[in-house]
Amino acid sequence: MTQPMTPREAAPKSTLKSPPAGLAALGSGAVLVVGAALAVRLWVSSAAERLTTPEAERPKVAVADQSEVGYCTPQFKQVLERVLHSCGLAEGDSRRGCQPADVKTFASISDDDFNALFTPLKDRGAVVMFDEGEDKLDEKAKKLLEDKWFTRRGARYFFVVARASKTGNQAKNRALSHRRANSVMFHLNEVAQDPEIESKVGLLWLGNEFAQLSRDYCAWPSSRGDVKCDEEAINRSAFVSWVDCRL
Amino acid sequence: MLGPKSKLPALLSLIGALLGLLFASNSTLDYAKHLDRRLHDVHCSFIPGAPATSQAEACRVAMYSPYSALFKEHYWGGIPISLFALGAFAFYTTFAIYLLVHGSHAPRRALRFFGAVSLLPLLASLVMFVISVTKLGSICKTCAGIYLSSLLLAAGGVLAMLSSREDVAGEPRAVVAPIFPLIWLAALGGIALVPAVVYAASAPDERPYLTKCGELKLAKMKNDDFVKLSTLRPIQPTLLFEDPLCPTCKAFHERLVAENIIEKLEINLVLFPLDNECNWMLDQALHPGACILSKAVLCGGVQARSVLEWAYDEQEYLSRAGKQGPDVLRAAIKQRFGDAMLKCVDDRKTDTRLNNHLHFASDNNVPVSTPQMYLGKRRVCDEDTDLGLRFTLGQLAPEVLK
Repeated sequence: MTQPMTPREAAPKSTLKSPPAGLAALGSGAVLVVGAALAVRLWVSSAAERLTTPEAERPKVAVADQSEVGYCTPQFKQVLERVLHSCGLAEGDSRRGCQPADVKTFASISDDDFNALFTPLKDRGAVVMFDEGEDKLDEKAKKLLEDKWFTRRGARYFFVVARASKTGNQAKNRALSHRRANSVMFHLNEVAQDPEIESKVGLLWLGNEFAQLSRDYCAWPSSRGDVKCDEEAINRSAFVSWVDCRL
Repeated sequence: MLGPKSKLPALLSLIGALLGLLFASNSTLDYAKHLDRRLHDVHCSFIPGAPATSQAEACRVAMYSPYSALFKEHYWGGIPISLFALGAFAFYTTFAIYLLVHGSHAPRRALRFFGAVSLLPLLASLVMFVISVTKLGSICKTCAGIYLSSLLLAAGGVLAMLSSREDVAGEPRAVVAPIFPLIWLAALGGIALVPAVVYAASAPDERPYLTKCGELKLAKMKNDDFVKLSTLRPIQPTLLFEDPLCPTCKAFHERLVAENIIEKLEINLVLFPLDNECNWMLDQALHPGACILSKAVLCGGVQARSVLEWAYDEQEYLSRAGKQGPDVLRAAIKQRFGDAMLKCVDDRKTDTRLNNHLHFASDNNVPVSTPQMYLGKRRVCDEDTDLGLRFTLGQLAPEVLK
């Protein structure tokens, strides 16, 4: 018996479909690969172009600086700058402080205008008061001085304007005023432990010839707020304050 | 079970590959845009084609992380891994079209090859997912889009492979030579590389810009009152301006740690809290409570790094506490570090020290922003502290990368 011949397997129909599938894949592959490459190239080259082109509207970045508040008027700053230069702070001069005659000269303004400049410092500063004829700080004065010193925030300079008395001998008043300014400075030196204190503190001492305080200043924060205050008392003092101006 | 005639596997693969292509394109575009060294919004959405947004913290974290790109020391920002995804998904799209057109005649070898290689993106996605969760602590939506695309692709690929076991009666499969899977594999590798090669070849030279962000005017602070952060092998003098409640500072610090850079920096830290309670340069607090925490870091002494890292680790909680008021924050500090620390924080001398730090910033007229990094006196540009960190250090302080 002869075994019947099995018919030969027909060629798979699918081979006919191979070329379209392969072509479709090759075509789409080429499009995708070239597209991806072009897109990447475009994105990178756009960034490269922007890199070399300055931004039209560059976002503004604030820069750290000392404080500058509303009362820093040009006139106020002018006087303060004169203080800095005349009293040895700006150049690191060995000379410390300004004498009454200096103040009158460099301020170049009237007594009232000079005092008015400090009016905005009412809340920032304080009046340290002394006993009559004395230059010693009492405990309340020390505490107030320290409180003011340690609330520096962004200020660069600390001003001390010492006075003696509205009445009496001018030379004696000047000397007393000077000693009061020094008392403040000594105490600050003691509590601050700051090697750069000399370049921060501006000392002015006035005799009774210039910028004496009126009774209105009794309303300012002082070390003796609970004691009767008059024009004579308020001038036995040193006004102290950080000054929030860029100079 | 799907029959051999089903087009679902190829369709599923095609959809997965196309979605992957889209998400990878968005990710690459975000990366490429930043080559101009400017700030840009970032794509961060599950919705394919959704526009870029500024609310994209998780995607930014992923982008700035050490895991987002390769060769970061050689190319500014490195070669983003999304480029390889872009190329690979282009290949998978092509292959899915091939299978779709072939239908039930698709060669058995092609189906098996596709089933096997379709698992590769899923494996890569799993690795990146684990990194996201364990190292970055967040999952970016665009990345998640790629993970999901990879899952779809893998599902389609596996179904395609399974369908290769059956034939349709009377519709025999096409046959391809055994060498073809190797050719396809080579094509997959080659195509995956194309976008990366193009990117590397056209990336701009960023070197001239690295040193154009200024210098410190004064390198020393009064009393040398910087906070010294202890590190293991300090070789590069570095000055950092940081704010314990600033999320960008936290991310930057974590990058320095993750990139294994921090231990080689000799760090002087300047505390620059963006909180108007102590910082006069601000009208309102960006990070309420940052002044108190800065004082805690100052009080940390030789443990300052631990205090800073605690603040970073607990930043979300501490930020909330800061908004509730200083006492809540004080209680948190006391609970973690005890009474002595709190006493130091409340000491007037600590106020003065913090004030000196702020004055150091103002004396140098540095930008009111954190973090800032200075190598010696030279300021490292902001963009070089994130995307360009390794490249910049490789150029300006190569020893820290060794």
